[in-house]
Amino acid sequence: MRVGVEVGGTFTDLVAIDGETVTVAKVASTPARPDEGALAALEAATILLGGVEDLVHGSTVATNAILERKGAPTAFVTTAGFRDILALQRHSRRSIYDLAYAKPEPVVRRRDCHEIEERMGPDGAVVAALDIAAAEARLRAILDGGDYRAVAVCLLNAYANPAHEMQLAELLAKIDPGLSVTCSHDVTREFREYERASTTTLAAYVQPVIDSYLSRFEASLGERAFAGRFSVMQSNGGRLPAAAMGRNAITSLFSGPAAGVIGAVRQAGLSGYRDLITLDMGGTSTDVCLVADGQPAISGETEVDGLPIRTPVLDIVTVGAGGGSIIWVDDGGMLRAGPRSAGADPGPACYGKGGTQATVTDAHLTRGTIRAEARLGGHMTLDAAAAEASLGPLAERFERGREEIAADAIRVADANIVRAIQLVSTERGRDPRDYALVPFGGAGPLHAAAVAAELDIATVVVPPNAGVLSAYGLLASDYVTYETRTRRIMVDGDAADQVRAVFQELGQAADDRFAALGVTGDVDYSHTLEMRYVGQAFEVPVPLTAADLDALDEASLLAHFDTAHHRVFEFGGSGGLARAEIVSFRLGSAVSPGTLPALREAAQGGTATEVEIFDAGARTTAALWLRAALPRGEWLDGPLLVEDVTSTILVPAGWRARVDECDNLVMQKGT
Amino acid sequence: MESMRVDPVDQAVISQALVAAAREMGVKLVRSAYSPVVREANDCAAALLDRHGNVIAQAELIPMQLGPIGTTFRPCAEVVPPEELVEGDFYINNDPYQGGQHLQDVFLFSPIFHEGVLVGFGATVAHHLDLGGGAPGLNPEASDVHQEGIIFPPSRYNLARDWNGGPLERLVRANIRVPEETIGDFNAQFAANGMGAKRVEELCRRFGAETVMAAMDNLLDYSERRMRQSVREAPDGVYWGEDALDDDGVGDTPLPVRARVEIRGEDVFVDFEGTAGQVKTNINCPYASTIAAALSCVKSVLTSPDIPFNEGSKRPVHVSAPHGSLLNPKAPAPVRARMLSAYRAFNAVMKALASAVPEKVIAAGFDTTEVACLSQLGPDGYRIYLEILGGGYGASAGGDGCDAVDSPLSNCSNVPIEAMDMEYPFFRLEEYSLREGSGGGGRHRGGMGFCRKYRVLADDVEFATYSDRFRIAPEGLFGGEPGETARTYVERAGEVVELASKQSFKLKRDDLLVLLTGGGAGYGPADERGETDRARDSEDGIVMQAAE
Repeated sequence: MRVGVEVGGTFTDLVAIDGETVTVAKVASTPARPDEGALAALEAATILLGGVEDLVHGSTVATNAILERKGAPTAFVTTAGFRDILALQRHSRRSIYDLAYAKPEPVVRRRDCHEIEERMGPDGAVVAALDIAAAEARLRAILDGGDYRAVAVCLLNAYANPAHEMQLAELLAKIDPGLSVTCSHDVTREFREYERASTTTLAAYVQPVIDSYLSRFEASLGERAFAGRFSVMQSNGGRLPAAAMGRNAITSLFSGPAAGVIGAVRQAGLSGYRDLITLDMGGTSTDVCLVADGQPAISGETEVDGLPIRTPVLDIVTVGAGGGSIIWVDDGGMLRAGPRSAGADPGPACYGKGGTQATVTDAHLTRGTIRAEARLGGHMTLDAAAAEASLGPLAERFERGREEIAADAIRVADANIVRAIQLVSTERGRDPRDYALVPFGGAGPLHAAAVAAELDIATVVVPPNAGVLSAYGLLASDYVTYETRTRRIMVDGDAADQVRAVFQELGQAADDRFAALGVTGDVDYSHTLEMRYVGQAFEVPVPLTAADLDALDEASLLAHFDTAHHRVFEFGGSGGLARAEIVSFRLGSAVSPGTLPALREAAQGGTATEVEIFDAGARTTAALWLRAALPRGEWLDGPLLVEDVTSTILVPAGWRARVDECDNLVMQKGT
Repeated sequence: MESMRVDPVDQAVISQALVAAAREMGVKLVRSAYSPVVREANDCAAALLDRHGNVIAQAELIPMQLGPIGTTFRPCAEVVPPEELVEGDFYINNDPYQGGQHLQDVFLFSPIFHEGVLVGFGATVAHHLDLGGGAPGLNPEASDVHQEGIIFPPSRYNLARDWNGGPLERLVRANIRVPEETIGDFNAQFAANGMGAKRVEELCRRFGAETVMAAMDNLLDYSERRMRQSVREAPDGVYWGEDALDDDGVGDTPLPVRARVEIRGEDVFVDFEGTAGQVKTNINCPYASTIAAALSCVKSVLTSPDIPFNEGSKRPVHVSAPHGSLLNPKAPAPVRARMLSAYRAFNAVMKALASAVPEKVIAAGFDTTEVACLSQLGPDGYRIYLEILGGGYGASAGGDGCDAVDSPLSNCSNVPIEAMDMEYPFFRLEEYSLREGSGGGGRHRGGMGFCRKYRVLADDVEFATYSDRFRIAPEGLFGGEPGETARTYVERAGEVVELASKQSFKLKRDDLLVLLTGGGAGYGPADERGETDRARDSEDGIVMQAAE
């Protein structure tokens, strides 16, 4: 049996797959001790851990440690002259008219930032040597001066030559073997000191928290006779054996949204859909990600609480549009939805917990696309009258009926989601019409058809159990590592050989890493160069297939770069002036954990009933189906409302739907 | 002027798309640019204009360049009316005396057509690293605008005919020192304009050009409504504020900048009568820049940050400055360092508003654009390093001023130290740190300035700079203490050579160039500072400046 357990902020989801049998559970999370929620989910699903050969876990432990500033007391050590780089940041502001602007607050205070005499050059040559004896004395003084459990070491230009960082790590291990030490070259080997120092510091800060969390969880599993593989999900969409988290826990940040994307990729892939835009809409926000040929887009950077992290992650864009998004009118008279959310408490007006402001969920209830009887993940019934009343003032203001204003508000929320999708598609040179939309999360399947229509997307694929898709993504994920290096290479006659040599070196590093972790199997490599015209500061990712790499020469390298550059900038380019250069290398390595299980849904008897909804500007009758009861393989014309325990699917008039042989519900425009 | 009615949800969708398109233009301009001023420091702006040249939506990059794009457009339209434009045409303008700012900011406007009908313009401005003139990157000694670089008067050219190897491109290339970077940045501007055009055309295809144009009109009215709503909430009255520049870079007489601000109903009138006359050096502030500074201050203080900035939001704010003054100079006065005077205009308006809305203003900060330019003529041509440095923000009613950040009218990022190490072999940064004690004390302290130490690794390196607040410290508000003044010096063979705020200086190998930027002033009396804040300041080594 294979099990995925995903601990989210509100709910802990579980998917267990044993052959054809799929078990799903959803329990309340226990934020103070997230592992207890995970164990409760295992119990709720009556899973005997002795029979589980593969357990994959995702949690918000790392994210929460940072957001709540509950990481380990950490010292930051850097090159002399630069102790303030975490505070100085990039000198710019994110909000240009905010006079009371405050920078994102680093997790390490100024008193805990320290300097060591040394300097590397950008070519890796030593500019100022590291005096070992002096460094040891200095480190001893630093450690005596604070009650540190972790040390982050980030030296200037260490991406080019990590020798001094390694020497400091050895010294620290000698002085205090119990200390958790994180060096920048182990976390990211790319230039730009602030971003690398920030990444290193965040990694050091969460490391002891993750270590103790995972060891406690593993001990609990051991007590319950678990003897299978235990893996942890990463933000890059892959898993690693839990032991790997002992070195670089920062990769476990934001694993939940990444797991959702992987779940969508695998499940839609079973039906043959490989070019996707995923749409994960929950209570407060919507995450979207573009997937080309089964590969989710990767970004080299992300941030948490405004603090940058340089490590490959799934390129997920988040907007503040969810079921709880508040509908309001700004002081210029424009109708808005979000980004403020009513959250879970008081929640939408229809929750009856004292909320009076209308939310997107209230709008759905009012126009009939969520039924008061449907139990939204939780187990409460909804107050339709309260929902309608909350829309009253808005309806008056715009002289619209309540159902009309509800539909308007939903369109505004949809527009926010459309913007997010344009960010990951058109703005990156991808045409959304070439993709299928895969909605999940509690609210995704309700909005998908309208969003698809706005973008001229012809096909929507709704996976079964769309509300627990990320837990499925966990157990469907590969083992994945990324190796990155900044190494500047001018594109000339020798460049192709150098590229192959660097990838060879990175491949060896990845193989060694897998071997050390006991991961075996065929490795699937993905090669990406970060390139730019000489003089530019931002790089364009240039993906190369294994065949591209074998055949690479100066001309084809330039052609690959021009294609990638043109895709993003269209009109840009050097005008034949500038030379091109490679700045960084990224090698992704993936090993499949075995055959891919499917997320099925057991068929169930039943027929349609009728329900009134407000669709396309008029009240109309829709067929209401229980998802498990939908006839397999048969096209049904909208309007349809399809419910399962975790979400509601809306198939509007002018669309049709069919459950395929993989239990995916496929919607298409036109009847 | 009620125009064609647009469905309110369509209006919201189109508005959002226009704002997003302008933002995308800005992002792509920065990411495809070559010179560090644009690509690292984001010294550029992008906007969509309607067919009359009114700014509809802007990328929020630099406040200084957000206000006046429309002002720069109009002289172009007077030379060649927009209806005569054809596909591929563009307007260019950088003339400070015909709606431009300083020469380095070159504005390009590309018309957007849908089915042959002009629907608007894509516009970008970028600060170009070098446009010729008397010295690489920056000529602090210029005595007129002609010594500051090449002037593009408002004109119409055609991309296919005149650029890409055509006569205009060849002319520009021959008159600048780093053609790869500068031409590359022009190309990045054209590309961003093209991207804006593409997005607007997509909207026209979806909603129809008529609807899109009507939605543009409505968006102007929308911003104006929100701006007026905010102004109405401020108390009516006439308020006065004053600040001063240290000097003109030659003499040592302070130059006062005075503002009279009248709030009347839902309009604001800002007048700079009483401000010093124009000077012979480059700190004169062209009128377009003065408008931008006053507008930025009014908008920052009185309104919510999420009002889309466009021509409509300018309508309730009326700015005037005497012709021949520092804030509205006559040609051909040099204007390169106009930001210095623009900041004092910003400060004077802020101080006036402090009487009207004390909870919404901040104390004076370093509020200076300090430019550091290091250049070297090597065997392969010029290498120019140029960075824009800020300092500490003034404190507010709500909290301490921001430390070590670019000043309010600008928003430049720093160049990563590791990027400097790669690109500039003639110097090495040895220190970049917070300047302890530089923030003025107060219930809330002013932000700290910072320290930069550059080790010079070659002979014949030219340093050029302009800055301010070397002598006159920023004043605290409501009992807060002043921020520390700025200082620049060179350590040479054990000796310290003090430099002025506005000058150039030839550096030698092994010199250490030290820049200390100024701190911000405090808000409220220092003895009201909370215990927790004091303890934290002391643990973190942020020693307060002693009261004078």
